[in-house]
Amino acid sequence: MRFDTVIVGGGLAGLIAGISLQKAGKSTAIVSTGQNALHFFSGCFESIQEAPQQVLDIFNEAGIRVHYKPGVRLMPMGTFKESALSLDDVSLFPTPQFGKRVLIINFMGYHDFFSSFLAEGLEKQGMECRIRFLTLGELTQPELGPNEMRAVQIARKMDDVWEKVVQEVRVLLKDEDTVILPQVFGLKDASVPTRIRQGIPAQVVFAGTLPPSVPGIRTQMQLKKRYEVLGGTYLMGDRVTGAHVYQDVVQNVVTKQLDRHYLEADHFILASGSFFSKGLVSNPFKIYEPLFELDMDYNQDRNTWYNPTFANHQPYMGFGVKTDANLQPSRKGVPVKNLYVIGSILGETHPELGSGAGLAIRSALKVTELITK
Amino acid sequence: MNPNEFDVIIIGGGITGAGTQRDCAMRGLRTLLVDRSDIATGATGRNHGLLHSGARYAVNDPESAAECIRENMILRRVAAHCIDESDGLFVTLPEDDLDYQKSFVQACRDAGIRADIIDPDLARRLEPAVNPDIIGAVRVPDCSVDPFRLCAANMLDAKLHGGQVRLQTEVTGIIKEGNTVKGIRTHNRNTGEDLDFYAPIVVNASGVWGQEIAQMAGVKVGMFPAKGSLLIFAHRVNNMVINRCRKPSNADILVPGDTVCIVGTTSSRIPLEECRNVAVTPDEVTLLITEGIKLAPRLSSTRILRAYAGVRPLVSADDDPSGRNISRGIVCLDHETRDGIKGFITITGGKLTSYRLMAEMATDMVCKKLGIDKACETAITPLPGSEEGSYEEVAKKIWENPTVAQKAAAARMGSRVARIRSGDRRDEALICECEQVSMGEINAAIDRLEASTLTDLRRRTRVGMGTCQGEFCACRAAGLLAKAHGCIEKERADIDFFLQERWKGNFPIGWGDTLREAEYTQWVYKHVLGI
Repeated sequence: MRFDTVIVGGGLAGLIAGISLQKAGKSTAIVSTGQNALHFFSGCFESIQEAPQQVLDIFNEAGIRVHYKPGVRLMPMGTFKESALSLDDVSLFPTPQFGKRVLIINFMGYHDFFSSFLAEGLEKQGMECRIRFLTLGELTQPELGPNEMRAVQIARKMDDVWEKVVQEVRVLLKDEDTVILPQVFGLKDASVPTRIRQGIPAQVVFAGTLPPSVPGIRTQMQLKKRYEVLGGTYLMGDRVTGAHVYQDVVQNVVTKQLDRHYLEADHFILASGSFFSKGLVSNPFKIYEPLFELDMDYNQDRNTWYNPTFANHQPYMGFGVKTDANLQPSRKGVPVKNLYVIGSILGETHPELGSGAGLAIRSALKVTELITK
Repeated sequence: MNPNEFDVIIIGGGITGAGTQRDCAMRGLRTLLVDRSDIATGATGRNHGLLHSGARYAVNDPESAAECIRENMILRRVAAHCIDESDGLFVTLPEDDLDYQKSFVQACRDAGIRADIIDPDLARRLEPAVNPDIIGAVRVPDCSVDPFRLCAANMLDAKLHGGQVRLQTEVTGIIKEGNTVKGIRTHNRNTGEDLDFYAPIVVNASGVWGQEIAQMAGVKVGMFPAKGSLLIFAHRVNNMVINRCRKPSNADILVPGDTVCIVGTTSSRIPLEECRNVAVTPDEVTLLITEGIKLAPRLSSTRILRAYAGVRPLVSADDDPSGRNISRGIVCLDHETRDGIKGFITITGGKLTSYRLMAEMATDMVCKKLGIDKACETAITPLPGSEEGSYEEVAKKIWENPTVAQKAAAARMGSRVARIRSGDRRDEALICECEQVSMGEINAAIDRLEASTLTDLRRRTRVGMGTCQGEFCACRAAGLLAKAHGCIEKERADIDFFLQERWKGNFPIGWGDTLREAEYTQWVYKHVLGI
């Protein structure tokens, strides 16, 4: 099978690269293991201080509702964090004092949403809080036992019964100006959070839960769908197991599912993530990139990999594949001519590209530009 | 009666202190136990979790060996729910001297320990994880024991016999009148409250910190702390305890425990000042892995969960400051006859396996001083949770078809598990998925076992001890603690402390899946949860 570009990794970086290449008329394939960082996405695109039209277009065309409003957002444990570009699910405020009286809604028996921590955090900001627990028949049926009270299971139920929640909240609402709900709405339909906001006569704020992230999974599904609508080939649940490099040019890659069929292309993009996604692998002696054995930018002495204080910056998280200004890597010092590296596998080797979602998006767009030039 | 007056005060919430309080309480004494932090935070909770058969000591220390086998057999009966009767092997590798086996077996038999030489083929069949290259094997009655559970059960029984337990309570001074100890001054680290407590006898059971406590009473006890480092692997690779059949050395014991296995230890003398903050060094990690693989080659591909270190409270029995006469045996000091200080006893040295005997010796001394003539019953009375046989029987008595989580709870709590069955299905909600710990069990630990922080809960319920090392269950359990104590502010600090403790045990082995998990935790806590 031959494509213009083959992308290893189907997370945010891989999908943004795939979509923008397809839009530029290229034929591409993405090989994805299925799990990626979008599954625990906070809903806020980190380290994006501006909102380039190109990025907004990609999201709008995919049906992903985003808004850009530099300010702060409410975190799941009642603290605040500076944010700018977010999914519509996440409310952005100029200051942490976003209301006076707040009604916090949780589901009975749901331990992954921290209503009491939220209340304490908001009370510190001078807000008055009241917590109420909803007991919905749909969440106590045998098929959703006490051990399945997790974000995605609840969200699947909520896709059908969110209107009931709106009604319950309307009944519970007294003189509160703000209602806080867990981020478990609109797994299938991105318009649900907006419709909930319209249905409740108060400001509605969605606060995060423990992962998996419902808005993150929805975003991943929307990007994948958009990519496929544009003609991209998304190989879900597959893993690249080998690569052939000949005369410093990647010839093809092999995957687990495709067996003896090679994926050939003019260009290859490595977007396989960092340690968590196994884009980078570590053992007691070294940290390496397992697929191409690319040169790494890191300190080999294991004693320098960690900071003993958990809360401090951890050096290992800065390690990444070594690339030039065009994000092209090398093997034993020799550049690989048609390979590009994007997303979190870069670590902190290109601070100018930001971190997290910002790094994923910026590096993907930069490489798209280089490939289509 | 003055609520601050007791018959005996015990300093130290390790297994020795908890065992002594139980024994004293069962003999009708009014008891108070204080600890500066939590139960089982010192050497009690930082070892292999091995209930020695005594075989390891048979050659060099026959007295300890005989003590171990007697106590081993007693604890199998009275602490059944804390013990896994796994049996043990002493294996000879090609590089070891097979002649040692003969003297080893003879020494075991002399000490009263059953030691059967078995064919290496049989050993490989009994324990498929053992190094296939072994040239000799001896089967002995080693067991594994959960020291946290054992300690909590002793504390609970002391309370059931009227005992009082005050945790997070630091001893700041010993109250004396002339040469007679009258009580203790304490400072509560949670509330900031300073209180005095009085009793005619004070028992110093504070392990390696016994030297400081003794100093407060004006007597000298010379501790010679020895650090031991261990590694916990994420899977239960072996079902029997595997020992090297050679002169005791570094990293030659592999013990299965619940869902994990533990290899150790190293041994190095450290200064007393370092005892509160011992760290595992990279060299120790390398040594433990290298030697561990020789016992069970499968360890080379098994994920390491944590590295940790404990400090053995070794003591010189007399006043010899050089430490030449260090004993690994039990040291029970009557400071009245030794130093002329009345009403003060130090119980230290010994082993986890011999804790009950240590408690009996200390309690006998207390009773003699108080003129009480009542026999010790701890060798025949089961601990709470151990009254009704195996956990499977217990689980079946309570639930018709017990789930995995219910069986796990029964294994942890023994017959006490009946108390957490509330009839409310919401109590069955799983807080910790790795170790299958339910909300009901966590609330029971908060209400009945004095758990006030996440690390306390970890010791009592295994919350956060599994493969994810408390990724999500920490937050869930923090929610329950916040509800029970009504203080969110404190719970935030508690989560920070829990994460730091976890990292302390993770970074010395920070590669492979451990590093993946650590990176994930960084993202989740910093970027998703905003802590």
